[in-house]
Amino acid sequence: MTECNNALVTKRTADIGVELRGAISQSLKAGTMAQAHQGARALLASSPSLLNYKFLRQLVEEMSPDLQGIRPYRVALLSSFSIEFIHDALIAYGFANGLRIEIYQSGFGLISQEILDPNSGLYGFKPDVAVLAIEGEDWLPEVYSNFMDADQTSANFEQLIHGFKIKMTGLLRTFRAASTASLLIHSLAQPQFLRAGIADASLTHGQARLVVDLNRALADASADIVAAHVVDYAGLVSQFGAQHWYDARMRLYAKAPIALNMLGNLAQEYLKYFRALTGLSKKCLVVDLDNTLWGGVIGEDGIDGIQLGPNYPGSAFVEFQRAILDLHRRGVILAVASKNNPADVDAVFAEHRFMMIRKEHFAELQIHWNPKKDSIQRIASRLNIGLEHMVFVDDNPAECEQVRRELPMVTVIELPRRPELYAQTLVSQGLFDTLAQSDEDRRRGQLYQQRAMAESARSASTNIEDYYRDLAMKLSLAPVDSGSRTRAAQLTQKTNQFNITTVRYSEAELDARLGAADDMLVTVGVLDRFGDNGIVGLMMARVEVDRLAIDTFLLSCRVIGRTVETAMLAYLCEAAQQRGLDKLFGQVVPTEKNMPARDLFEKHGFRKLGEDQSGTTTWELNLASATVQVPDWFEMQAAPSSNKLAAPASNPEPVHV
Amino acid sequence: MSKNVEQTVRDVMSIILNLDAAEINDDTSMDNTPGWDSANHINLILALEEEFLISFEVSEFELMVSYFDVVQVVGSKL
Repeated sequence: MTECNNALVTKRTADIGVELRGAISQSLKAGTMAQAHQGARALLASSPSLLNYKFLRQLVEEMSPDLQGIRPYRVALLSSFSIEFIHDALIAYGFANGLRIEIYQSGFGLISQEILDPNSGLYGFKPDVAVLAIEGEDWLPEVYSNFMDADQTSANFEQLIHGFKIKMTGLLRTFRAASTASLLIHSLAQPQFLRAGIADASLTHGQARLVVDLNRALADASADIVAAHVVDYAGLVSQFGAQHWYDARMRLYAKAPIALNMLGNLAQEYLKYFRALTGLSKKCLVVDLDNTLWGGVIGEDGIDGIQLGPNYPGSAFVEFQRAILDLHRRGVILAVASKNNPADVDAVFAEHRFMMIRKEHFAELQIHWNPKKDSIQRIASRLNIGLEHMVFVDDNPAECEQVRRELPMVTVIELPRRPELYAQTLVSQGLFDTLAQSDEDRRRGQLYQQRAMAESARSASTNIEDYYRDLAMKLSLAPVDSGSRTRAAQLTQKTNQFNITTVRYSEAELDARLGAADDMLVTVGVLDRFGDNGIVGLMMARVEVDRLAIDTFLLSCRVIGRTVETAMLAYLCEAAQQRGLDKLFGQVVPTEKNMPARDLFEKHGFRKLGEDQSGTTTWELNLASATVQVPDWFEMQAAPSSNKLAAPASNPEPVHV
Repeated sequence: MSKNVEQTVRDVMSIILNLDAAEINDDTSMDNTPGWDSANHINLILALEEEFLISFEVSEFELMVSYFDVVQVVGSKL
């Protein structure tokens, strides 16, 4: 082999990524983890290649296990085919999202054995999440390559669908009984070609239709299992196209049917779920205005000159605004960071007939000439949202770069040059995706507006107690039940500030505790004169001999600073006394964020029992000599009643006196 | 500065097989390299395809069992 000049050798990775890879290694050495994650996001966005996946995986595996700022996450992959080639990509994308992923890989085709054997390696691994990666070809050959062998009668198909549902239900139930890990199950992708050819569509029971029916059966089976979610694998394959998704060579040679350059896309799909399950989903979108919400520059082009409307390129901006508005309706908080004259922008909001997003959709507008990093920080502190939950979108590479450098916690979306790609760029990563939509999600935009109004009321009141009274707060306390379980789990996953222990719970884990007679799990709802804030607090406690021990006590940042915590503690005091317990016990595990909760017990007269090396403190209140009273500015909608404290999951009614 | 095929193969092998690029020579092969197992062989082949924008036939997978052979096969496709 002679040397060959490589004009032909179009390198994808080695040269493009050199600087970025060096910078990531540097950040890790310097211990600036957020910067390292930011670097990994940039590397994967510019060059998602096997070499870069491998490079990031090696970094993760060489990291010291006690490094801060990255969260361990245990993933079990159970597959009907060789899926281990995804490991590099999964660990790489995990790292870019702040997760240190550890993988348990079952042998291919051993899904049932792993789930049914209580002593299997799967359960020994104690995963946080288990993925059932199924290809229909392996799982149900009679529906795929052997389709033409089958007796194509209605009875036969009914039986096939029924049998599939029974089998999946059995596996999911067995898994759920043995593990509290979340479950992700692939839906079945359509066959790459239909065995009956174009006649398939006219068959009463065509192959394509059969796959659709099987997927419906799968959705029904998983809907009955707590914390089981169907991954729309069929949708993913069709999004990229089966001819690109699969690699026949690798399917036949290595039982690895998915093309390796598609595994990054599958890994990113899994990450949407992992983010949602670990409370890493984004909450707030900060948008630029010029060349982002509309084409052109309002200060130069004027209201009649900017591009926004039915014709290209204005139509692309209309589509982008529609995508942003959809996020708002899903509960994403919107804000603006723009360098502009406020009066020019106000005119667009007030007068432009094709503006879909109104000024009132934004919880915060920062329109001035100061650096955008300052605007974003101000938005974060005004709305009480952590920078790690914010996404910034801008068309200007320099603005993006400044924010990436100064605020590495923020996820930056740098818009492509062509506006027709804006909407897709925003939504394809699924940064804001949540597992379910609760009423709170849908109303969050309004809630933040109420909050802003409550804040102004506060500055108008001269005395803090007047302010509390003026709010006319009503508290409703109710045991967690099947209706509030999703919200309760979400609160444990998302609440960082007023949270004494910051223990995260999945729905399945909450479910396990709901059945325990000595456990009490209580949600806190707050209504005030500005509206219903919904469920904003959670308490979890357990009877331990002579005391009631609090292990979770949290409040959403929406209602911090309103003495709701005092009323909550009063509730627990009463609950303990009604059970004949004479002590209330609690601990505070300090984190970077939970400053507002640290003095909870001290402020309410608890005695400090001790403090360990990590700074965790333990506290006790002797109810024989002291108690906590509900402040008189609250109207209580419910109070503890001893016989219903440990209401079972099936009991949906709140506790009334 | 453009790099030649050998240098690129070396870069790819060092990352995929976790080897020091300077240690790779003509004799580096599946037989004497612990990290070069059958799973990593697939990773190596696909990374080479990505880097050189080429596609191998299955029959070629089994020819590329040493650094020397990899350079030969890659070179024949450019």
